Parts: sequence; C-alpha cells; structure tokens
Amino acid sequence: MIDPDAEIVRRAGAGDAHAAEALVRKHLPKMVGLARRMLNDGAEAEDVAQEVFLRAWREAPRWRPGAAKFETWMHRVALNLCYDRMRRRREKVDPDAGLLVADPAPLASDAWLAQQRAARVQAALSALPERQCAAITLVHFQDMTNIAAAEALEISVEALESLLARGRRAIKAALADVAQDLIGDADGASRG
Amino acid sequence: MDRTRFEHLLEAYGADFARWPVDERGAGEALARAHAAEVDAMIAEARALDAAFAAAKATPPPNAALTARILMAAPPARRPQSVAPAAVWALAACALLGVVLGYGAGALTQPSDDGSYFAAAFEAPPEAPPVGDQG
Repeated sequence: MIDPDAEIVRRAGAGDAHAAEALVRKHLPKMVGLARRMLNDGAEAEDVAQEVFLRAWREAPRWRPGAAKFETWMHRVALNLCYDRMRRRREKVDPDAGLLVADPAPLASDAWLAQQRAARVQAALSALPERQCAAITLVHFQDMTNIAAAEALEISVEALESLLARGRRAIKAALADVAQDLIGDADGASRG
Repeated sequence: MDRTRFEHLLEAYGADFARWPVDERGAGEALARAHAAEVDAMIAEARALDAAFAAAKATPPPNAALTARILMAAPPARRPQSVAPAAVWALAACALLGVVLGYGAGALTQPSDDGSYFAAAFEAPPEAPPVGDQG
C-alpha cells in the first residue's frame, strides 16, 4: 500500500514548516467538513479539526507507513472525536439543534431557499445513528471510495453498504414531507 | 449481477455509477440499460436524493485563525546536535566517578610524618669540589 502522504508526514514530523503547511492545506478542509456534517455545528467542527491536527503533530515524528494511510488514520481520529461529542450531546438534547438560525442579513429568495434545503438535508443527516451518518458523510459528502470509507470506519465493504442503504432510506423518509420541493428543486438545480 | 444486488447497490451508493464498487460498475450500467423499463423509476428516485446531497454539499472553507493555530502547534525544527544526550550523561557520570574515587583514595591513604621527602626536596645538594683542586 502506497501512502501519498508518507513523505510529507515524515518531513512535517522533522519540523519542516512547509510540509506542515502542505498537510494542513490538504487535509484541514476535509476534517472540518467531516466534523461539520457529523456534528452540524461549525465551532465544534473546528475544535475537532484542531484536535485531529494536534494528535497528527504528535504522531508524525514516529509515523511508520504500513498498516493504514495517514489520511485514513486522521479520518478515524476525527470520527472518534465526533462520536464522543455526539454521545455527550445525547445526554442533553437540544430540540433546536440543526435548525437554521435566522440570518439578520437579507438574502435573495433563491439563496434563502437553497440554504433552507441544505439545512433540511443536514438536519436529516445529523439525526441518523452515528455510524450511518459517518458512512453517508464519507461516501456522499467527502467523496471517499467505498474501500477507503470502509477502512476509515474499520468495517467491511459489505457492512458499509448496509449502513449506506439504511442511512439513505432514513434520509429519504425524513425529507418525505418536502420531497417534491426539496428533492425536485435540487434535482433541477443539479441539471441546470 | 442480479436484480437484488443491483437494487442494494443503488440504495447504498445512489444513481451515480462512479460511486459504485469498481468491479460492479459495468454490470450495473448494463443491467440499467437492459431493464430500463423496470429500474428507471428506482434510478430516478436515487438520483433525486443524490441531487439533494449535492445541493447541500458546499461548506465554508476553514477560517484563517484555525489554520494559524494549527500551524503554531506544528512540530518545531530539530536543532542539529553535535553531542548526543546519552554521551553528555556518560561524560558527567565519568567525571563524578573520578571525583568519588579520588576522594576515596585520599581518605584511605595513611598520613605520613616522615619529613625526609620534604628535606630531600629542599636540602642543598652537596658542594662540588673546585675545578682547580683536581690534579
């Protein structure tokens, strides 16, 4: 298995500032994106992404390529941090979590509608059980291959497919009341 | 590929065959073409959900302050070390051992009252006979 990040991780671990910057540039958006999908909270997503990199900096000097790619390892760390936060949240459920907060700045109606649709999809995603949410996020939002996503989740491809199918069914059901508007318009937008 | 497997993959990965397992994409596309009348409605439903995901996909880029905080914590450059830390400790241990052994040896040695060494060191040498007296 060839890890495309092996050299850059080695250099970052040895204190090469340019390598560290390249690693951040490449992976920070993915880590923030993953955590934002899982937690539906921008500030918490940034905390998770920062913690992932703090652990990456500790790991880099002694990283030995082999068992897993560095990117897969980072995804595992991010997922575990998200799971921890999701479990803690369950103890005190905020009924408004996931709802879009009114933006004081006026939006054009199309932009507002697009924001509402995205918020509904995000809310449906966040309501899934954590493993289904993670599977959908990795494959459909992070564009990972089935093999890479299964490795990040430490499950088989068959188990990943089961999580994906159940997750997609649940989201479709959650969006059923607005399906025509939400899905129909999104479909039109994607073709346009 | 049978119809059951096709439906399972469609439910899992959606209508974009590029997301399907590499070794099953061709068979999936072939089945979709061959049985269009039966599977088109299912594909359209899956495609609609894919489109809803795509429309919700955009996320703001990470902010600059977060990037800066992360880079501040990156591993520092290693300073070149002329002497390994283990060697420094070994040298210190040798020096300490030398002091201890020197002190111990001094304590074990009996003090001498014999002043002969002192006298020998400072006593004037015997006078040599004048050169002219010889012969």
